[in-house]
Amino acid sequence: MSMRSQIYEWDGARGTAVAAGNAGRRISIFIGGLGNNITKPAETTATQFIVIEDVAVTPSALSSSLDTAAYRGLSTANGISGPRAYVQVRINTTDYFLDPDNVGNDGIPGTASPYPRSLNFQPSFSLYPDVYVLPGQVFDVLTTFYNSTIFATLQAFVKYTLYDGPDALIANKLLEMGISINPGNVDWYKRTLIQSQSAMTV
Amino acid sequence: MSMRSQVYEWANLAPSGKTSALRRATDDIPVAVVANTEYDVFIGGLGNNITKPAETTATQFIVIEDIATSPFLGGAVQVRINTTDYFQNPDVTDQVGVPGLASPYPRGSASTSGGSDNLLKSFDLYPDVYVLPGQVFQILYSQRTASSATDTEVVAAFCKYTLYDGPDALIANKLLELGVTINPNNVDWYKRTLIEQQQRSAVAATAGSV
Repeated sequence: MSMRSQIYEWDGARGTAVAAGNAGRRISIFIGGLGNNITKPAETTATQFIVIEDVAVTPSALSSSLDTAAYRGLSTANGISGPRAYVQVRINTTDYFLDPDNVGNDGIPGTASPYPRSLNFQPSFSLYPDVYVLPGQVFDVLTTFYNSTIFATLQAFVKYTLYDGPDALIANKLLEMGISINPGNVDWYKRTLIQSQSAMTV
Repeated sequence: MSMRSQVYEWANLAPSGKTSALRRATDDIPVAVVANTEYDVFIGGLGNNITKPAETTATQFIVIEDIATSPFLGGAVQVRINTTDYFQNPDVTDQVGVPGLASPYPRGSASTSGGSDNLLKSFDLYPDVYVLPGQVFQILYSQRTASSATDTEVVAAFCKYTLYDGPDALIANKLLELGVTINPNNVDWYKRTLIEQQQRSAVAATAGSV
């Protein structure tokens, strides 16, 4: 199978757990040295193509300055229930999400793209158009939290599709043609190749 | 990458002793919001702000796809393009815009701070709002009731937009001229038609030379 749906879940409480001193700093969910990590930076080989379809992080709820009671399952401090977390995608050295003044920002708030989703925390954001990681590129997903007293439940989630071998070549071709890269369109391109081959044989 | 999904989140949070800041910080606390005053979420001097007014360059095109705000205290959001408010009353007078009760942020939020209900959206920003090259835009937050002086409520606003840059912004302009909705699918469709046209003329030129 050369098109595979993949996910990566990061949990700040596993391995070397996230601490208060990490608040306000960007943490790579792959190789940041905190939570569960992988062995090397996330990258595509020359025969791979990745399409990131969703990113999400632990949500927060809005509260008020004197509130200290837990709200919706999240501890409260400084008027926010939850870690006040954000998630950014970086391709090579370029941040994907920018402010309108073209300055890189913290990324998608967990409040807009919550993980996990629930009745209390529903998404306001969908990652469309998707983010493409071309062959040979390095990518990273960076999370930042600002509520320095609440980080026990800090999790991030990435959903992507990995195209490998011939399907990665087709993905590149679709990119050249200005067609969205998704499994349906890759299959469509294969069918058109087969049909044109059959027509030539006949 | 010349079509990018972007978001901007604003909240009335700033470091102690300040009313606004360019970067979020770990010591941010809620700042009181005055009733019936429109705050530009980008450069309004309250909460997190950016360095300059939000505007498109000559090679950028922005499509605003969603706006939302916290429903507490009668919060509402308005979009302003250059000097024109997007949401108007039927008698063409000014209004505060989309109420947080209709487009809540976060989605599933309670209607009051600390409440237990879950609000769903009644409002969908469709058709989208276009910000053409060279235009300035603002997202204005206002609330009917002032924040509590002692137990200040945290309020927030959210904007989701797609930024078309370079060649894709030119295509977006072309689609606008054609009266076709600007979205990533239609920009891709236009690119495909250009490629097909090019291929057809190349084939015709080859056939002609034979």
